[in-house]
Amino acid sequence: MSPGLHTKPAVVKAASSLLTDMQGASSSLTYAALLTDDGFDVARLPGETDGTRFAGMASSMQALGDAVTHELKIGSSEYIIIASGKGHVVQLRVPGQELVLSALFDNDATVGHALAVTRTFAQKMAELLP
Amino acid sequence: MTIDGNYVAGEPAPQQPGSFPVTVGWTQAAIAISSVMVLKTPVNLKMNIEMHGPLLIDFGRHAFSWSTPLEHFPLDAVHTGLETIPGGPDAPPMFELPGHDLDGLLWQIGLNSFDGAPAFWLSSGERYRLTRWPNLTQHSHDMRQVKMIAVLGNAYVSTPELATYSGVEVGEAQRLVNALSLMRILSRSAEAPAVPMAPETAATKRQSLFGRLRTRLGR
Amino acid sequence: MAEHVILFTGPMGAGKTTAIQSLSEIEVVRTEANNSERHIVDKETTTVALDYGEILVDGDEKVRLYGIPGQQRFSFMWSILKKRAKGMILLVNADNPDPIAEMIFFLDEFRELYDRGGVVIGISRADVVVGPTLNEFSEALERTNPGLVIPVFTVDPRDRDQMENVLLALIVNIEMREAFGMLSRTESA
Repeated sequence: MSPGLHTKPAVVKAASSLLTDMQGASSSLTYAALLTDDGFDVARLPGETDGTRFAGMASSMQALGDAVTHELKIGSSEYIIIASGKGHVVQLRVPGQELVLSALFDNDATVGHALAVTRTFAQKMAELLP
Repeated sequence: MTIDGNYVAGEPAPQQPGSFPVTVGWTQAAIAISSVMVLKTPVNLKMNIEMHGPLLIDFGRHAFSWSTPLEHFPLDAVHTGLETIPGGPDAPPMFELPGHDLDGLLWQIGLNSFDGAPAFWLSSGERYRLTRWPNLTQHSHDMRQVKMIAVLGNAYVSTPELATYSGVEVGEAQRLVNALSLMRILSRSAEAPAVPMAPETAATKRQSLFGRLRTRLGR
Repeated sequence: MAEHVILFTGPMGAGKTTAIQSLSEIEVVRTEANNSERHIVDKETTTVALDYGEILVDGDEKVRLYGIPGQQRFSFMWSILKKRAKGMILLVNADNPDPIAEMIFFLDEFRELYDRGGVVIGISRADVVVGPTLNEFSEALERTNPGLVIPVFTVDPRDRDQMENVLLALIVNIEMREAFGMLSRTESA
């Protein structure tokens, strides 16, 4: 259990910095957020936006994804994609942590690229934490 | 109230605390309770009951103490004596607090007094409406009573109207009215008009979710 | 398939998930995450999307039980879940720092469920702690919502029998409100 990651300044700083790197790695990244499993906003990009509502929603989606895979008995949810006319939201867990990385890419990026970038940075986040 | 304990409908309650005639059963106990509850001077009651320990009622603290649990409420208890004891916030408690919630006792006494007739403190021609639901998880009750309570919670009805709307005998409806009135959660009105209810046709009865769910849950 | 949707509301820790588990005939669909605020509410997990359970009334009729996540940051879920519900069971735990305020808040927030159906309030953990008395809850209700006669019961959400009492009281109350023409036909789709 990793209580209150959103309250730890070192974690918040590392998370913000990671999102900035992520932006550097993909020009089609429009919005990204790191949030706790129970819906608290840890960091987001752009930094000035209010991430509270999105963090709640993303955690609900993550939990619903798990509920669906549990219901269908297909193991655990690996990633969630929401496709829209203006872009894709890709979302997955940071391995070994009670954190979720959720990112919006515009349609210049393929879904494959969006997924690869998100996976890479989720893994990097995992490596930043003890 | 006559000396041998028979009540006369419409008589006013005694105005002074003092010694009451020897009570006989729950009807007389209900009369004593309802009389005492409206007194300006706070008064508590001790009831001696054959084959049971004394029943102690502290109205100020809304509590009672009795060695007999309410699950074994003796319907035909014979009362052998009743004492009034000065109450009020400064009076020492008659029993170890907190005791039991008085509502539970009033519910049982109210249901089991007056033998299906109107309680003596009620008047004819009245309609009734609930001011507050009883705490049903704490009082043993059946689904017919819940239905009646739901009617009373939503309209002013007379006892015969309550019986009709709930599909029960008038005597059963009256017992509930007596109990809720003794618990002081029933508002009484002589002027409230009749409230029409969507008539419960046979078809509607079949469609009642309450009825079907009751069956499903075995109640 | 006829369906009746009942919504369980109330603050975190009131026992909504537990109550649905007591009633549901299916394994309850839960969306729990580890609670990262244990210093505020001492619970290991918290609901982050919804709970879902069912009672099959007969072959083609169901009572669907939905539980909201109690925390305010999930209020977008409250809007979603309100829509199809015909009634509400509002649970408040007596050991909440301000249970009366929580009761008033959720009643207010979900007022439309009262208007178009009905509400029953359940106070959990009343036997475990010294909190406000049932009378105090009722009085607060009457003060803030004069004229509303809403059942308030003490309840143990783990107790199936008690929860069935609460559910049946809710349903008969909704039916009576309907029979006496007290329901408003607000948008419920």
